[in-house]
Amino acid sequence: MTRVCTVALLLFLAIFAAGPVSAQQAEAIKIGVIQPLSGPVAASGNYVRMGAEIARDWINSRGGVLGRQVQLLIEDNKSDPKEAATAAEKLIVRDKVPVIMGAWGSSMTLAAMPKLEEYGVPMVVETSSAASITKRGNPWVFRISPPSEMEALGLEKYLKNFGIKQADFLAVNTDWGRGAASAFGDLLKRSGASVGATEFMDQAATDMNAQITKIKAGSGDTLFVTTSVEQITLVLKQAQDQRLSRKVITTGGSSSPSQLIKQAGPAAEGTYHILFFLPWFPEAMPDGKLAKAFVDEWTKRGHPFEGLTEGFRGHDGILTAAEAIKLAGKPDPKAVREALWNVNVMGVNGPIKFEKDGPAGKESGQSKPSIFIVQIKDGKIALPAFAAKK
Amino acid sequence: MDQLLQHLLNGLLLGATYSLLGIGLTLVFGLMNVVNFAHGEFYTLGAYAAFAALVGLSVSFFLAIPLAIVVGAAAGALCERCLLRPLRGESIDTIMLVMIGLWIAMQNAELLGWGGVAKSVLTPFPAQPVVLGRVSVSPLRIFVFVVSGLLILAAHLLLARTKLGRAMRATFQDRETAALMGVSIERIHTITFAFGAGLAAAAGALLGPVFLLYPSMGDLAALKAFSVVILGGLGNFVGAALGGLVLGVAEEMGAGYVSSGYRDAVGFIIIVGVLLLRPSGLFVRAERVG
Amino acid sequence: MRWLALGALLAVTATAPAWVWNPYHLHTLIMAGIFAVLALSLNLLLGYTGQLSLGHAGFFGIGAYATGLLTVKLEWSPWLGLAAATALPAAAGWVIGRLALKLRGAYFVLLTISFGGVTSLVSVNWMDLTNGPLGLPGVPPVEIALPGLPVVSLRSKGAYYYLVLVAVVAAYLLCLALIRSRIGRALIALRENETLAESVGINGTHYLVLAALISAGMAGFAGGLYAHYTRFVSPEVFLFGYTVTMLIMVVAGGKGTLAGPIVGAVIFTVLPEALRALTSWQWQMLVYGIVLIAVLFFMPRGIVPTLHERWRRT
Repeated sequence: MTRVCTVALLLFLAIFAAGPVSAQQAEAIKIGVIQPLSGPVAASGNYVRMGAEIARDWINSRGGVLGRQVQLLIEDNKSDPKEAATAAEKLIVRDKVPVIMGAWGSSMTLAAMPKLEEYGVPMVVETSSAASITKRGNPWVFRISPPSEMEALGLEKYLKNFGIKQADFLAVNTDWGRGAASAFGDLLKRSGASVGATEFMDQAATDMNAQITKIKAGSGDTLFVTTSVEQITLVLKQAQDQRLSRKVITTGGSSSPSQLIKQAGPAAEGTYHILFFLPWFPEAMPDGKLAKAFVDEWTKRGHPFEGLTEGFRGHDGILTAAEAIKLAGKPDPKAVREALWNVNVMGVNGPIKFEKDGPAGKESGQSKPSIFIVQIKDGKIALPAFAAKK
Repeated sequence: MDQLLQHLLNGLLLGATYSLLGIGLTLVFGLMNVVNFAHGEFYTLGAYAAFAALVGLSVSFFLAIPLAIVVGAAAGALCERCLLRPLRGESIDTIMLVMIGLWIAMQNAELLGWGGVAKSVLTPFPAQPVVLGRVSVSPLRIFVFVVSGLLILAAHLLLARTKLGRAMRATFQDRETAALMGVSIERIHTITFAFGAGLAAAAGALLGPVFLLYPSMGDLAALKAFSVVILGGLGNFVGAALGGLVLGVAEEMGAGYVSSGYRDAVGFIIIVGVLLLRPSGLFVRAERVG
Repeated sequence: MRWLALGALLAVTATAPAWVWNPYHLHTLIMAGIFAVLALSLNLLLGYTGQLSLGHAGFFGIGAYATGLLTVKLEWSPWLGLAAATALPAAAGWVIGRLALKLRGAYFVLLTISFGGVTSLVSVNWMDLTNGPLGLPGVPPVEIALPGLPVVSLRSKGAYYYLVLVAVVAAYLLCLALIRSRIGRALIALRENETLAESVGINGTHYLVLAALISAGMAGFAGGLYAHYTRFVSPEVFLFGYTVTMLIMVVAGGKGTLAGPIVGAVIFTVLPEALRALTSWQWQMLVYGIVLIAVLFFMPRGIVPTLHERWRRT
């Protein structure tokens, strides 16, 4: 008993009395990155990471920020909110980063948000779509991705072209899927269409036949699907098995149409996709040159083309963070937060500028990203006729 | 009515996949008493092995499946020799934890090696569904259904009718007597575990093309496998097969007529119901369990 | 000598916030403490009754949601929330225990898996109650408000550390008292040989239900502590991964002992954080898995029992 205690004591002291083990490279400016790098959405998290690394390398090749090189400290949130919060804590306290980019999924971002307020460090949110993120009155949150409501508005101008009378929804059972189903549902109702069935699937589910059978039995003419590309592939294939023949529109920007063509083949023919980046038509983006350069660099590094539709988020997030540090003049979290309100840059998606969102006095920042629609026609990506011009 | 028929068909096909997952585990869990949390990882290994054979070695689809089984069985044998044999005699919980460690290690090795992006397997079957009256089904799934049935039958026959099968059953029923009768206990343990792993790999090779391949594909599969095994009776092949079908149909009906969000809950409730009414499993002669 | 060592250990842990001045490390300690309570609760079932509960995250989650919902939606005091976080899961534990009237071994395991699965699905789908996948942000911190004295908010890390430390000590003492009592002796008798125990008049089911009740209540309390610390509750608290983590802590630490789960909790909370610092993200979980296998390979009975044996022999 004595020995166990002694060992326990020594172990305890050894671990916790150790001072901050901060391996300091002389001058680097550190930006924290929290993404799901393992677990079910590891692919997406890694794409964002790859985009972030391209941004870092470009910035450094142009001389860095404030004359110093940018270093990315990358943490894995393992698709678990608890891990996201711990990663944020570690980045802020141990590594003393002035700004973080993260955390991909909405629950991960929401879990990390109290830490931002506790320590006073801003975070650039690059993917999460839950409305509550910018409405909770957390002045340290700055989002460059669109909440589902904004995405639905982006579709509004094309609604007439689709001629939807009754739509069904099939969404992943997370904040993202539910938020999209509700936001797009509201949009349709406002425009005079009706909503048929709203079905959900578990994030890890592989068999959606039951939901498809139910939807097929209804009288909808359009199916909205919100989930990651893997599940969209399965939904399309299983819909083909059941001979479901109606318009399909995917939302959320994670549909990676190139991957769909490869993996779902003819089942993906004719489907529409709402995206925030058009790697097949970079010239159609607000800054065509930047978009093309990004696509070229991504391809040069041997990254899968399918990842571009998500990878750009990493690039734009780091671009925003670096710009804020530059405007602040020093890598101090509070100064960076002030500076974020003044950021006005052109990212791969388009212009990034924050507007106030949320309760007065404690607003978060929300940018208005560009939204696009593509269609898979004859096994290739095409801009639908009505969306051909920018 | 069409909807009901389609649901029923969906349920049977889904159930066949569950049965396939269960038969590999029922041996290892039912006979060897090893809580094999790494079962899902042998499943994943089989899927990736088939993928590698198809893409890397340009082997035909029908050859990739037996290749995957061999890889799975070999991995299982290795695992038994190096991890389980030295720990023979330790408590069931310790073995379970070692399997958990193996699960974590294998899955993350796969993530490291293959990357997180899902992969799809091209099959020689047409994508157009087969139409049977008012319901339709893809030819690939019919193939999987048939092969699963054959595998289950083969495994059952091996265990019930062959000398090896008798040796296996004897070993796990009464070790000492089996040893006295000349059975090599060590070899039987290795063979049994390899057998279970091989069946898991077969499931992976067959189901990979139906769904998609990604490193965490085994997690859900393992959970269903455990449910099916206990439903059908530990060590009972036919029970696992039928249990899988029951679970598949129940889930499908639940998702179709109750709620898609609570789909898995229906499965769980059925399981609880079965356990309370027939604790030793649906398809076993009633035995004292409590 | 023995009391000196124990006293030193207590002194060190009691004064930790003073000299562990890196808040990130203190955060790790707090999480270790919460998991220690969880591990002790699982140990009660696994180590002392021999029944494996693979749905323990369900009790943890119910506790977290109980206090989260009551303090956020009904604005109850967090202390009442914590009480509910203990009582509700305990009630669930009682139900599970009674359902296990006919079930032991693998069948009990499947029952607990189903319980864990159903609670997880309810938390995701019953949007009106739990807010579904969006979770419950804004869970208030715990406060001590005694009449006449100023309110002491346990929002700061140091303060919360003490709350968790008290919880761990209380859980340990509760388990100790339980084991040493008649109830404990009955549980151990049942674990060793149920038929024999029943033949001398020990009602197996009655004691199993009691153990399940206490174990569930303790796990729920840990869930409440978690909710008030992270101040955000989402369906991920029901993740099977939490049950696996608890299992690892109990078995690798040493099931059937009382120090085992605590040691396991500390080691397996610190290990992932240490790996975060030492290796890049690609290797973290792979190394974790290998370390786990190695620990069990060389210390199959768990760390504490093995160390105990080694030192008893020298």
